[in-house]
Amino acid sequence: MTIEIQSLTLSYDANIIVQRCNLTLAEGEILVILGPSGCGKTTLLRAIAGFVKPDEGTIRLNGRNLNQIKPEDRNIGMLFQRPVLFPHKDVLGNILFAYQKKKDRDMEKVNEIMKDIGIYTMKNQSIETLSGGESQRVVLARALLTNPELLLLDEPLSSLDLSVRRQLASEIRTTLKSKNIAAIHVTHDHEEAAIIGDRIIEWNELHLLESVLIQANTDETTSG
Amino acid sequence: MSLRSIRSVPILVYLGLMLIPIVLALQRLMDVTGKSPFAAIFSLPDHPLGTEALYFSFIQALLSAGLTLAIGLPIAWWLGRHQWKHLNFIRAALTLPFVTPTIVAAMGFLALFKTGGPIESIGIDLRFETGLIGWLSDATGIENSGHIIALLLAHAWFNLALVIRFVEPKIATIPPRFEESIRLLPIGKTRFSRARYFWWPMLRTSIGSAFLFAFIFSFTSFALVRWLAPDLWTLEALMAVEGGAAGIHNYRTEASLLVLGGATLQGIILLFALGLAGYWQQKQSISNDIVSESFARKTAGGASLFARIGVSFALLFALAPLGSMLLSSVRIRDRTNESYRWSTEAWDIALTGDLTYVSAADALANSIVYAIACMVVSVLLGYAVASSIHALESGGKKKTAIMVDLLSMLPLALSGVMVGLGVLLGVLKVWPELFQWYGLPIIPHAMLTTPFVIRILLPALRSLDSSYDETAAMLGHSQFQRFLKVRIPLMKSSLVVAATLSIAFSLGEFGASWILLRSGSWDTLPILVDQLMARPKYFELVEPVAMATASILMMVTFVLFIITERFREHQGGGF
Repeated sequence: MTIEIQSLTLSYDANIIVQRCNLTLAEGEILVILGPSGCGKTTLLRAIAGFVKPDEGTIRLNGRNLNQIKPEDRNIGMLFQRPVLFPHKDVLGNILFAYQKKKDRDMEKVNEIMKDIGIYTMKNQSIETLSGGESQRVVLARALLTNPELLLLDEPLSSLDLSVRRQLASEIRTTLKSKNIAAIHVTHDHEEAAIIGDRIIEWNELHLLESVLIQANTDETTSG
Repeated sequence: MSLRSIRSVPILVYLGLMLIPIVLALQRLMDVTGKSPFAAIFSLPDHPLGTEALYFSFIQALLSAGLTLAIGLPIAWWLGRHQWKHLNFIRAALTLPFVTPTIVAAMGFLALFKTGGPIESIGIDLRFETGLIGWLSDATGIENSGHIIALLLAHAWFNLALVIRFVEPKIATIPPRFEESIRLLPIGKTRFSRARYFWWPMLRTSIGSAFLFAFIFSFTSFALVRWLAPDLWTLEALMAVEGGAAGIHNYRTEASLLVLGGATLQGIILLFALGLAGYWQQKQSISNDIVSESFARKTAGGASLFARIGVSFALLFALAPLGSMLLSSVRIRDRTNESYRWSTEAWDIALTGDLTYVSAADALANSIVYAIACMVVSVLLGYAVASSIHALESGGKKKTAIMVDLLSMLPLALSGVMVGLGVLLGVLKVWPELFQWYGLPIIPHAMLTTPFVIRILLPALRSLDSSYDETAAMLGHSQFQRFLKVRIPLMKSSLVVAATLSIAFSLGEFGASWILLRSGSWDTLPILVDQLMARPKYFELVEPVAMATASILMMVTFVLFIITERFREHQGGGF
């Protein structure tokens, strides 16, 4: 089991956002959480990443209890809705942010991932010249270089136009599957969910994650 | 130690640095006078010059702020409405007076108004009040009217940048469609009605803020009053002069009462004005949508001839005192035949220090050492405090954050003289050994500059997108690595602006240094200029040497100003 969430309750300014949530994710599985904007999907991802402190409950990643672990020590990657690229670095500089020390840099691996993701030719470009889709590719490459145990995708395709969104969703799925990385993807787009997910669950109004399943890329209907 | 208690350390250090000297000074003055600060306010008339200083401080500050608006608003309007070829240069030139050290400004205006100077040569004698100004004095019955006009003009010159900085960007970013819409309505048919029902409601907070800041800076002006209106007293000037005799038991109690009552009253007035300005600025920041400056300017088109002439006069007004000062350092008046000669002798004497205890070069070295030390203290402390306030805000502790934010602004209500007196009466009389310490001026300079650093860095921290920090954390970077690799590079502009402004303020600081240093081997450049000007002028080179020394200070400040302008992001609506 990659991730195991038990009785997780999250609140913000005394408002309960997520209540007694239970969720599990198998190794290499891509889970999609579908729900309208503002329902708490992002808060759940931010709690898994370590930016939101749970009121109660536990989050385990490959057996480790993450509750007391700082975000930087969790070995989780995250793609935000808006691609976060550091404005004072070019494309390569942003990708090299995956390494904390210069001596750790594996340029062969960097080049390989950049080629896989299709951004190798833009490595010396300023980030201002990139389109939305290209920016998300750079962010994805950077996240993959850290060898994350889990990748969190917080509506990273929502600002892209439909054709780019479909293509990138498919590419993300292929890349994650080839590297056997588990991921949680949140979105409000059913079509995108169907392209990318192994399992899709819907967020209900009671702040509970309930597995109302929509079949995606496997033949099973799973409960969470 | 928890993170929360670590965060409170810089706030406590900052408040301690700011408040301890002031609290100790107040305590000493209360001991000596036997009166509370508020009771001492009512004793101000007991001092022979107390009432006069109080009235004059108010009146001149109100008139100065009014004159600043009268000169600055048309300029801001023209600059904000039209396309200008060299806009950045015009803005920089008009902002220059505000960063000019006050002693340099005083020397510039003295050079402009002196006998044989450009203004006297066209028949306006503001120094000795002959001719037109003499007639004005006789007609109005106002004594020293020439000095008052000189002071008001100098204050308007110094504060002109406030109107430009507060109002011009606001005018330049109001969507043109608003004005276009109102022109089609009955209420906006005439220029006057558009000004009344559209422009005034849109601009009043910016204009009000500029007026209040001009009032504050004029109220606490010292060097300009000391040199341009030597026979007139403001509270700040009177406290500076009487401060040396204050705080001593059974000796000139009226001096202690004046400092106690004057500082309390001045503190209350400044606090009120700052609170109001802060409230207006906050209202301004939450007002309607804006468009890019270039878009609005394009709609209004090029400047009219009248606007070009107006802005040209404003540039002349901004640069004339400084040019005149520079000229006065090389144009030597021969006392025997009242003629003038051109020479660099004054610069040689200034640099060798033949007329003073320390040379201009040594004073510059002192000034630079103090300024750099002050910058290090104020930027480190200012960043730590701003960062703590920001952490409280983003951690959901909004009320605590507002309280600490307000406390951090309190020192802005302290003038240079008040801070100098605080250190003199509060710290030095408790710990006299500090008088022997070379680094003594760093304390008041850091007290005066740190609040500005906080005001520059806090908005920068607030505008920093937290997703950068979160992304770096997700990539495994520790808090320290994120600070070095993400926060510092992204805040580079604000940090450079804060550091250079801190150095510039420290280099030009006059009031506190005048009280603490006055004459010694650690003189700073502004104090050296003051010493030179205070010498009898029998030797023809005394005044040119003072002008040369002030010119050195001006040049160093200009270099810093150019650096600041390169990094400043013109978003408008404030400093």
